[in-house]
Amino acid sequence: MMPCLLRSRLRSALFGLALLPAMTIGALPGSAQDSNPLPPVVLTEEAISAVMTRAVDDVIRPGYRDMHASATRLADAVSAYCAAPSPDTKAAAHAAFNDTVAKWSFIEIVRDGPVLQENRFERILFYPDRKSTGLKQVQALLVKQDKKDATAAALPGKSVAVQGLGALEYVLFGTGAETLDGQKDSFRCRYGAAVAKNIAATAASLSADWEKPDGVQRDWKHPGPDNPAFRDGKEAITALLGILVHGAETVRDQRIEAFYKGEDVPARPKSAIYWRSGNTWNSIRGNLDGLRTLFRTSGMEDLLDPAEASIAGSVEFVIASLERVVANVDPDIEKAVGDPSERHKMDFLIINARDLVLRLSDQYGGAIGLGAGFSFADGD
Amino acid sequence: MRTPLLDRRSFMRMAGAAWAATLAPASLHALERAEAVFASGFKAHDGRFGMAILAEDGTIIERVALPARSHGMAYSAVSGRAVAFARRPGTFALVFDTRHRQEPVIIHAGEDRHFFGHGSFSPDGRLLYASENDFEANRGVIGLYDATDGYRRIGEFDTHGIGTHDMTVSDDGGMLVIANGGIETHPDFGRTKLNLDHMEPSLALVDAATGALIERHALPPALRQLSTRHVDIDARGRVWFACQYEGPRNDLPPLAGHFAKGEDIRFLDLPEQTTLRLANYVGAIAVNRAQGLVGLTSPKGGYAVTIDAATGRVTGETRVSDAAGIAPSPQGFAVSSYDGRFERSTADVAWDQHIIRLGRL
Repeated sequence: MMPCLLRSRLRSALFGLALLPAMTIGALPGSAQDSNPLPPVVLTEEAISAVMTRAVDDVIRPGYRDMHASATRLADAVSAYCAAPSPDTKAAAHAAFNDTVAKWSFIEIVRDGPVLQENRFERILFYPDRKSTGLKQVQALLVKQDKKDATAAALPGKSVAVQGLGALEYVLFGTGAETLDGQKDSFRCRYGAAVAKNIAATAASLSADWEKPDGVQRDWKHPGPDNPAFRDGKEAITALLGILVHGAETVRDQRIEAFYKGEDVPARPKSAIYWRSGNTWNSIRGNLDGLRTLFRTSGMEDLLDPAEASIAGSVEFVIASLERVVANVDPDIEKAVGDPSERHKMDFLIINARDLVLRLSDQYGGAIGLGAGFSFADGD
Repeated sequence: MRTPLLDRRSFMRMAGAAWAATLAPASLHALERAEAVFASGFKAHDGRFGMAILAEDGTIIERVALPARSHGMAYSAVSGRAVAFARRPGTFALVFDTRHRQEPVIIHAGEDRHFFGHGSFSPDGRLLYASENDFEANRGVIGLYDATDGYRRIGEFDTHGIGTHDMTVSDDGGMLVIANGGIETHPDFGRTKLNLDHMEPSLALVDAATGALIERHALPPALRQLSTRHVDIDARGRVWFACQYEGPRNDLPPLAGHFAKGEDIRFLDLPEQTTLRLANYVGAIAVNRAQGLVGLTSPKGGYAVTIDAATGRVTGETRVSDAAGIAPSPQGFAVSSYDGRFERSTADVAWDQHIIRLGRL
């Protein structure tokens, strides 16, 4: 493990570069190691198990618990809004929605484990929806006004596109949302409350799965020959790094480039995630928060040879740079894509998200001995 | 350069001027072609991608720059042309004339298609087949390209499955052999596997002239998470296939098998130790017809395994960390690795997962 003083110096050196313009970020100290890499460090099963244990106990489980708690508050807030529409209950419902988006965005980076079972991920978030399948289904459901559709019990049997955050966002913020203010317990509002309850129930099942001591958490913490998730530590750390790499790729490819691909390509602001509620950047900030927290709190830096600890510093530096810019982009996506200075920020985000992927997959992966094998063998 | 399917300006914008500048004119290539035995895609340590032509001992004879990562390759002994297909969900394929009579040709996937990373020439070299994703309809297709007309896309056949990956052509050119991995993907979701709990793997034989389905082998429900991904054909015309398992890591599913037209598929009954060494993930398969062997590599398990095609028995297991591609050689099989090893040579590249042999042994 690296002495604290040395770590501190490296961090100081890295963060001292914070004023550099965006395009120079590729010249950070970590990249100097590309041309002359050290031999990869030898990882022990114990060291990996310690990282996996922190990832599970200190990041993933709390992440799902927070998501469940937030979704429960959201269900209550939407129900209260339905029962007594007022500016206060409306504001509370909207605030609860924003909070659940943030909490989900933090933990949604973990696209592995129980969330991949029974379409739970898509039940909570059906996105991207390039053909507006979800929108059309929600609109049709609202027109039909079938009482059965406004019950949480009926939703799990329906299309995933009408069960999650996208559907609820349309109810609360989409065309016709103002009708919620004028009528108690309207069909639209009851459907929204049912969706919120469904989200809470799905989050509850995810959290419950991760809380079982002899379930997925054990499998992730203690790889071994009889383990249904990982046969050894290398497989486990590969999966953990995969969460980070794919999370960074998703931020770039699916969340930003979904609506903005640069100056030469027409923007599609209405393809942005959560554009109706102004939560696009709130969500991306949550994703970045999840990536940074998972990387730091799990102690992935501890697996590096001390001489290569700057890789960890550069990873955190790039994430911090992304978070800093994300916090300052106009949440009105229509306006953001039409403003040159906002587009410049988004260009920065795309470039640096790409850089983050490389730092994680090539530099970090290479330094712990995964090398090219990390990304080369992922299902082809 | 003919680019019939390519919006060339769009492609050059995507690929970048630096890449275009690396396409040297044919006159600059003056290497002795007789040495050229293998071709494989790679990633260089500076992050750039390419395909390499190699000698029998793994020495790189020539590098050809690619705009992005490639995966599988095709080769026509008749025309001497090799093709590197973009890794899924990539949209380019580069045709390279190993005899240097023509500049490289870029094929661009159609508007609603992307390449799945594999393809094959017809025996006469006149047609190029490519496995592709019709992602809006979530179905695999085989794109048909006219190699005599600038690789113009002249049609497509249904693969009768989803998540199509590898494919090959029977020796007489009459039948396409298609591995449908059964995993749904969509470019909007990158490489994310969208249906791991309801996969539909299958192997399909399709009439190469009409696209009609000859037969289709769906895997039984107990093996629905066994993705059938790579194929080759042995000297008797039997189809050999290799799989990657998406189910629990402590299952020990069968990982390879074979069949002939008109027969049920048969899985190899590998020893448990061999199955463990293949780590539920066979990355590549190759047949050595002259020696009657089948070779499998597993980058996850770090092994190359050889099997007697007649008996199905394991004849050799070699520890190769990060084992990548495999192709027939006079010694049995040539094996590459992600960390740059290729037979007796080591290069400063990461080899991709497939090697193609240029011509027969």
